[in-house]
Amino acid sequence: MNLGEVSRPRDGVGGAGGFEGRLEAELVRVVTARAAVSPAQTVTWARPPGRVERLAGRLLRSPGLARALVTTPSLLMPWLIASVAVLGAGAVATISTGKPMVALLAPAVAAAGIAYAYGPGIDPAWELSRSLAVSDRMVLLVRALAVFGLDAGLGLAASAASARAVGITFGWLVPMTALCCLTLAVATVARSANTGVGAGLTGWALLILGGQASNGRFTAAIGDSGLVLPYLAFAAVCVAVALYATRIPKGTR
Amino acid sequence: MNVEITDLIRRFGRNQAVAGVDLDVGTGVFGVLGPNGAGKTSLLRMLATVIPPSSGTLRLLGRDPRSYPQRRQIRRRLGYLPQNLGYYPGFTVAEFVEYFALLKEMPPERVPTAVAVAVERTGLGDKARAKLRTLSGGMLRRAGIAQAIVNEPELLLLDEPTAGLDPEQRVAFRALLRDLGQRATVMVSTHLVEDVGAACSQVALMNQGKIVFCGTPDELTAQAEGTDAEGDAPLERGYSAVLAAARTGTGAWS
Repeated sequence: MNLGEVSRPRDGVGGAGGFEGRLEAELVRVVTARAAVSPAQTVTWARPPGRVERLAGRLLRSPGLARALVTTPSLLMPWLIASVAVLGAGAVATISTGKPMVALLAPAVAAAGIAYAYGPGIDPAWELSRSLAVSDRMVLLVRALAVFGLDAGLGLAASAASARAVGITFGWLVPMTALCCLTLAVATVARSANTGVGAGLTGWALLILGGQASNGRFTAAIGDSGLVLPYLAFAAVCVAVALYATRIPKGTR
Repeated sequence: MNVEITDLIRRFGRNQAVAGVDLDVGTGVFGVLGPNGAGKTSLLRMLATVIPPSSGTLRLLGRDPRSYPQRRQIRRRLGYLPQNLGYYPGFTVAEFVEYFALLKEMPPERVPTAVAVAVERTGLGDKARAKLRTLSGGMLRRAGIAQAIVNEPELLLLDEPTAGLDPEQRVAFRALLRDLGQRATVMVSTHLVEDVGAACSQVALMNQGKIVFCGTPDELTAQAEGTDAEGDAPLERGYSAVLAAARTGTGAWS
């Protein structure tokens, strides 16, 4: 700790002549001696930003936001591999059974990714992040949009691979939006990504089963055009809840 | 004055954590002492702009944190070590410090050197490439201190910074505090009286959300004169005397 500059403790610490004063003086002597043996060297450990980070930095005009983006938990390689695996399996199932499994899986995958993008309960340094110049809401927005965009792209690719893209593209994108907003709102309010994911998956399962029960089609949740406006309204409400939950509390004023 | 506080109050529901604090703090190391639940952490969180006051006025580095642009300017010049700092276990020490340097909007070209200096100053030079998950509690605390000082803050807020540090590290840390306090306002919340005695030029003692003493460590020590206050060291006896007087409502300090 800047070992070469260790100075004498103030007089009166534990009594200048007391045990604590002598202990402090002895420890100062030890630290100073160590500093003399191994002088501190200023070595830099800079990690050059990768291509994606450089591009994000230029687009966002903020190296801090770019670094926050590339460190998003649900954008890291293990998560991406898992997403590709799930959607790949969905595509195979779609091809082999003829049922739109990708359309049902994609919203769930994206919703889980959003819940794990950022927020209290997910970011271990959440308290610290609220004291930084780059606002936590901006980090949340950038990360959520990136996760949504990436998962939407993966879903589209899986849909195209299973020859289901044309008819149901917008059918699942809108419920995916609503589901992502739901998990974001719940994760933010509950301060728990797992709770958010649980709420999202439960809601999605209920919707699918509800469609099955009411009109015998489990694809009603993604194929019924009458649901588009309710989905969008629900998404808007969830965004408002998430914004409210991430506001700076005004205390009791 | 870098910190100007007038009648600051913070409530959490019915509980008043900070109950009307007035304080002006300039350059130097300022200790905030007090028992658990005295309101030290709530005060520091308000100064770190993490939570706003319920009422009262607060000016930091000559700026009003209620305004977003001014709050952002404050945050660029702020270093903060929370009591419970979370860590990203997959980051190395250098990556962890660099991450926060970037989010503090330091000029990118200055970041590599600033990270190296902060890591060296906290004695983590040989652990710079180590993952945080492999470090001991004391080393993690030092990584937290490194991120707090990486931007050479004008206002440095440290909540229980020496928790988990061994005696040798604490001595070195106090030396670092004294050095930082020559150019910046350093506020240290602690319940360790010896940290205050060794590093702080001014000290405030909080009890039940109020400041019940403000002065130099020597003045705090003098509060024990003529009392039967308990403590292993003079400063501790002063601390005990002020707290006892505050609790019985006979405090002479104003």
